[in-house]
Formats: sequence, C-alpha cells, structure tokens
Amino acid sequence: MIFGLQAYLSLAAILFCTGVYGVLVHRNAVGVLVSVELMANAVNLNLVAFSRHAEGVGGQVFALIAMALTVVEVVVALAIVVLLYRTTKDIALDGAREMKG
Amino acid sequence: MNAIAFIALAATQVFAGLGVVRAKNLVHSVFWLAAALIATAGLYLLLHAAFIAMVQLVLYTGGVITLMLFGVMLTQRESGTKVPNEAHREVPAALGASLLAGTMLTAIWSTPDLAEREAVANVATDSLLIGQGFLSEQLLAFELLSVLLLAAMIGAIVLARRTDP
Amino acid sequence: MSPLVLASTAVFAPLAVALTLMIVRPLRHTGVPAAALAVIGALASLGSSIALLAQQLRGAPTEIYQWDWLQTGGTTIATVGFQIDGISAPMLFVVSLVATCVQVFSLEYMNDEDNAGYGRYFTWHALFLFSMQALVVAPNLLQLFAAWELVGLCSYLLIGFYYTKPSAARASLKAFWMTKLADMGLLLGLIFQYVMVHGKVAAPFGWDASVVYTLNAYPASIMGYPIAAASLVAALYFIAVMGKSAQFPLHIWLPDAMEGPTPVSALLHAATMVAAGVYLIVRAYPIFLAAPDVMVAMSWIGGFTALFAACVAIIQTDIKKVLAYSTVSQLGYMVAALGAGSLMGGYFHLTTHAFFKALLFLSAGSVIHAVHSNEMSDMGGLFRKMKLTGTVFILGSLALSGLPFLSGFYSKDLILESLYHAAAGSHEHAGNAAYYFPFLACTLAAGLTAYYMGRVILLTFFGEPSEKASHAHEHGPAMSAPLVVLATLAVAAGWGGGSFYELFSGPMATSGHAISNFPYEFHLAEFTAVGVVASALAISGLGVAYVMHAQDGLKGLRTALVPVGDFIRAGRVDRTFLFLYKSVMTTASDGLAWFDRYVIDGFMNALGAGMLVAGDRSRRAQTGNVSDYVTVVLASVMILALWSQVHAGGAG
Repeated sequence: MIFGLQAYLSLAAILFCTGVYGVLVHRNAVGVLVSVELMANAVNLNLVAFSRHAEGVGGQVFALIAMALTVVEVVVALAIVVLLYRTTKDIALDGAREMKG
Repeated sequence: MNAIAFIALAATQVFAGLGVVRAKNLVHSVFWLAAALIATAGLYLLLHAAFIAMVQLVLYTGGVITLMLFGVMLTQRESGTKVPNEAHREVPAALGASLLAGTMLTAIWSTPDLAEREAVANVATDSLLIGQGFLSEQLLAFELLSVLLLAAMIGAIVLARRTDP
Repeated sequence: MSPLVLASTAVFAPLAVALTLMIVRPLRHTGVPAAALAVIGALASLGSSIALLAQQLRGAPTEIYQWDWLQTGGTTIATVGFQIDGISAPMLFVVSLVATCVQVFSLEYMNDEDNAGYGRYFTWHALFLFSMQALVVAPNLLQLFAAWELVGLCSYLLIGFYYTKPSAARASLKAFWMTKLADMGLLLGLIFQYVMVHGKVAAPFGWDASVVYTLNAYPASIMGYPIAAASLVAALYFIAVMGKSAQFPLHIWLPDAMEGPTPVSALLHAATMVAAGVYLIVRAYPIFLAAPDVMVAMSWIGGFTALFAACVAIIQTDIKKVLAYSTVSQLGYMVAALGAGSLMGGYFHLTTHAFFKALLFLSAGSVIHAVHSNEMSDMGGLFRKMKLTGTVFILGSLALSGLPFLSGFYSKDLILESLYHAAAGSHEHAGNAAYYFPFLACTLAAGLTAYYMGRVILLTFFGEPSEKASHAHEHGPAMSAPLVVLATLAVAAGWGGGSFYELFSGPMATSGHAISNFPYEFHLAEFTAVGVVASALAISGLGVAYVMHAQDGLKGLRTALVPVGDFIRAGRVDRTFLFLYKSVMTTASDGLAWFDRYVIDGFMNALGAGMLVAGDRSRRAQTGNVSDYVTVVLASVMILALWSQVHAGGAG
C-alpha cells in the first residue's frame, strides 16, 4: 500500500477531531490546553505533509513558525492558569464566571 | 517498510490522542500527549523532514511537556493529585467531533487533486534550505516571530509573578 | 419716456417707500413725514400710470419686459416683469388714483393715532400699493399669484390695524384664512395648467413654464385643449376669485373686514383688492372662454351673489356694512358679466365701481369721523352741516344705482344688456337660456341697490339729527379734495367708455382672439329696452326709499319684511362655516393626530422596546463560562466546514 498525501491528511484530521473532542469535554484549564496542543500538532503534520508533496520548502518553514507560535501560546496560557489558580485556588473553568453578561 | 512504519506510528498517535482526552488523571493526559508528540516526530522522519522532526522532539516533547507538567504540579498542591476531569458533555461533544471528522475526511477523499500528487524529492540539505528560506523569503515572519517570543516572555513573567511581598 | 421706466416707477416707487419705512424705524415713528413719504410714492406711481395710460390711448403697442426668476437645470421656469397693454394700463391708473386719494384722505382721517401707528399705517399702504401694481402688470400667472398673496397679507395687516381690539383681530384673521382657503384653487389651477400644457408640447411653444403662463401665448395654446381640462383649470381659478372677490358663499369676510379703518375699506375692500379677482378672470380670459360650463356657473354665482347681498344690505344699520354688502353685490355683477362673455362689461364696471365705491366709503368715513360712530341711528340731518360730503355721497349713490348719464349707468347697463343677449341670443350668437336667471337676478338687484342707497342717504343726511350728529362739521382739505376728485370721476368715467373699449380691442386683437365671444357691441348712450327697464327700476327704488323713510309710508311692507330681516341678521352663512370647521376640520385633525401618536409613534416605541427586550434576552448567552465560549467557537467552525463542504460538494 502506498500511503500518500491523503493518508497523512486523514490522520491529521482524525487527530484534530480528537483534540476538538478533548477541548469540549475537559472541565479544567490544563486539560483544555493539552487538547489544544493535540490540535496544533495535527495542523503541523498537515503542513509538513503538504510540503513533502510540493515544490519548495515553504511548508516546512511555515510548520516551524507554527510550532514556535504554539510554544508561545502555551507559555502565556500557563501563566494565566497559574494566575487563575492563585485567585481561585482551583483550576476548574466553571468557576471563572466573571465574564458573565 | 515505509508502510509498516507508517501504520505503527499512525496507530500510536491515534491511540495516544484518545488517551489524552479520556484520561481521568491530568498527569496521565500530559504523558499521553508526550507519546503522541513523539509519534509525530517519527512521522516527520517518514516525510523526509528531518530537521522538523528534531525540532519537534526538542521543542515540543522537551519544552512543552515540561511546561505542562510544571503547570499541573504547581496547581495541584492543595487540591490533591487528581483534578477531576469528568465530562458532562461527552456524547454531544463526541457527536460533534465525529461530524467534523466526517466532513474533513469527505473533503480529503473527494478532492481528486490530492490523490495525484507525487512525492517530491528534496532530501538531504533540507535544513540548509529551511535556513535560507527563513532568511530570504520568510524574513519578515522570522523577525516578527522573534518579537512575538520576546513579548510572550515578558507577558508570562508579568502575569505570573508574585505581587505580594 | 420709455414704458419700462414708467412701469418701474409705478411699481417700485411705493415699494421703495414701503421698504424704507419698514427698515428705518425712527423714520416710521416720525408720523407726518412718514405719511408724506408714502403719499409721494403714491403720487409717483400715479404720475407714471397716467403717462402709461396716455401712451396706450395713443395706440402704443403692448410691451412685455421679463427677467428670469426661477431657474432649474439651465432652463427658466418662471419670469417676472411688466406687461403694459390696454388691459393693465387702465387698472394701473385706477389703482394708483384711488390709492393716492385714500392716502391723502388718511392724512387727516388718521391723525388721532400716535406717531408709531400713523407711520405703520402708511407703511402698509405703500406695501399694498406695490403689491397691487405688481399684480396688475404681471406678465404671467405666477407673478400674479405671488402678488395676490402679498395683497392678501396687506389686507390682513390693514384690517387688523387696531390689533388691540379683539373683533378687529378676529376679522383680519377671518379674511386672511378665507382668502387663503380660496387661494388653494389658484395654486391647484396653476399646477393643472402646467400639466395640461406640458403634456401637449407643440411648436412654437417649447416647454419652459414661463411660456406656459405667459398670457400672450394663450390663443395658440388654449384653443386646442379639451374642454374638460380647461374647465378644471378655469373652475379652480374661479374658486380663488370667489374668495378674493367675495362671492357667495365665501363672502362673509368682507363685512367683517369693515373693522379696519374706513380709508382701508375704501381702498382694499371696495376698489382694488377685491377687484383683483375680477382682474384675474380678465387676464386669464381665454381659459375661461374655453370652458363654457364654468362660464355659466360663474354667471349664476355672480347673479345670486348680487341679489343676495343686495337683500342683506337692506336691513343693515351700520353704514359701512351697507357699503360692504353693496360691494359684494356689485362684484357679483362683474362676475356675472364675465360669465356671460362680456369682458368689457366686467372690466368697465370694475373701474367705474372703483371710483364711486371709493367715493362712497370715503365720504362715509368723513361722516363717521364727524359723528364718531358707524351706526346710522347716530346720524341724521347731516346735509345741513356737511354739504360737500353730502353732495358727493349722493352723487356716488346715484352712480351706484345706475342713474342715466352717470358712470354707473353705462357699466351696469352694459352688464345687463350682455346678460340679456347671452340669454336670448343675438344675430351673431345663439342664446343660452341658462343666463336668464343671472339676468333677472341682476335686474332685480339693481332696484334693490337703488332702494338701500336711498335709505342710507335719507337716514344719514336728512331727517332729524341725533345727539351726536348735532356736533358734526365738515373737514379740512385733506379729506375734502379726494372726495371731489373721485366724485368727478364717478360722474364722468362713463363717458370714456368708448376709449376704454378701444384699449381692449388692441391687445385682444393682437393675441388673435376677438372679444366677439361676448355678443354685445358697445354703444355709447344707447337706450335699449333693457336700459330703460333698468333705469326705471333704479328710479322706482329711490322712490320707494323716499316714501318709506322720508315720508314714513308703506308701513305694511315694512312689517312684512321684518321676519326676513331677522332671518338675514341671524348670520346663517357664518354659522354654517363655523359648524363645518368644527365638525369636518377638527375631526380630521383629531384623526390625524391619533394616527400620528399611536401608529407612527407607536411603531417607533415598539421598535425601541423590542430592541431592549431582544438585547436583554441575548444577554443570557454570555454565561461567563469559558467552556461555553469555546464550544461556540468550535461549533461555528464545524458549521462553516460543513457548509463549505456541502457547497463545494454540490459544485464539484
């Protein structure tokens, strides 16, 4: 069997949707963060797969940039989580209701 | 050979992904994520992107997982080892995610163009090419990225520092 | 001198005076100097009017001077200017002459007023003279309309001169309101006329509206119009005339207008302003000629008004009210004549009536000033003390009654003759039996006219003087000279009828339209059967008056007429209008107010409240729960993905 582009893309799609499920299901902040990581990982896989099947190295560069961005996002998100924990002593997302309209 | 590797890595990844989202213990979730990330690095190697694979291992598996663990440990001191991870929206979420997966898979498999693409061989010096790309075509992105990293660092420090003496 | 200069002087001299007096307040408050200025303006206007009339009498051609007024999109919609021809020149003369006489008369009549009021009075007089002259020389109906409205404004200002008196204030408002209502007819008529002509673009016409309204261009255009369209326009114009010239039932403002100073009544409500309606018909005559049904209606309304007003005049005790109803009656004569196709009859009577009615009013003013009362019961036996006033008043009354050889005889006779010939037919025309009613009404009214004027003379100047009358005395030259001038004209104007006729035929001939739609050719001093009957009626009317009032006879007749008098005094027409106003207009207004408040405002309020409620309900989507927000984001992404897939799947 040749596992071509479509296989990689399907794999990435499945991973992405798993991440979506995780985001919807988790009730605490770090759990959501972990699922978001999964989603980002799937996207990077997508990018690199496309880059393999196209001219030029743009896809890989883009993937690198995406990775860097994901790292940045994780850093800031964790800082917020720490802050949240400090104020509420709990990292359950249900408790953060200050934005209620 | 490639096929077997792909199947093994793919299976690992999917299984690990499920583990991430279904684990009851938060620390377990993080470890499942580590497994998924390592499998991804393997897939990158299969895709002839060696540099990316190494970066994945160092940055993600090393850095991000470490950060996550730190985060989990820091916030679990008083609430015990287990952070409740239960879900009251499992079924609807599963349905939604399945729907999304179905849509994307349909899109992928019904696009004829994707099936015909041939693998391109630009193999050995891809790190050189990537470096050149960063400093010529994607220079702006590169610079902005560095600014962004700086901002994130400062932001994280400001957010998380202790304000009481 | 060029007609342009003369016309400009005639029109703008009073305007200059009016503007100066309106703007420069200290000048206005000086009293007599302000009045003198006004009189000078009037004299200037008179001088140029005489010169213009002389030119026209010598056969000068019609002159039209126009300047662009309203322009849009590069074309001219309306023009203003002067049109000097055989129709406008006599009217210019009449207006300025009567105005000058009245202003000179007012110099002494109004000298009881304080300086501010005195100045104000003459300012409005100057403004009025300008407006009326501008109306007379209007080359198109738009300028005529503008001047018409301005004249109405001056009437309002002058009737309400004693504005601190409630009845005067009410009367001025009543006059203004009624004439404004009627002016809607003029406005609508203008609109319809434009539409009428605009739809039928034909060479050499072009399509800019100034040509539409230019009176010279009528014959080429009017004659091709369908009768229904012309009738509509003519009927609408006639509604405006009914208001301005006080035809039944829109006449009720004129007796109330007697609240103004007597010279004002003489000028506006006898000689000039109320004649503007008749002038409009004269100017726009080709339209009326194209609408024979409207002409018949005009004659009927005019005839009825003549008779009706004469009946009401019989029972009045206020001398000014008698004259007011008499004016209404005479205006009815003019309108009836015009309806019968006699342009000459209507217009000639307008000029002679201006003279003798102004004379009557001014001499009545002299009497009122002497006796300090309007009621005839406060007068009596004044002939001994006020010989000049008495003489001219009698002369004016005889002219009004239509005694042979006085001016009124010629014009009134002409009217009756044309009505008769319109009814019975002549060698040029078939008769229209519909004109018999106006003819009979006018003839009967002639007798009544003589009767009520005789009654006034006897009650005022003869008999036993009342308490107030015993202190009466004649007035100074300022009040006497105008009386003499007007009396002369009242007697002699009829003899100028021939030249007057020539003045007409000029412009009408050049416009390609003979006046031969009116069946009677003018003859000076011809005694036809109609003339004899009319004169006999006049004399017998005077005789009856003499018998009833000087000799106190015919008591039976008098007692028989008492219920009639009471009926007339009840003021039915007035009350009908009041009732109509209350029931129709206020109901309509209330309905519209309800609609505005509940439907329109209600809609707006509901919209606002709906917004508030919707916002409130939408607030609940902001739960503050981060998971919910994330869910929403993901759900949206899913929907987008699905949608694009379905879309692309359908296409590809």
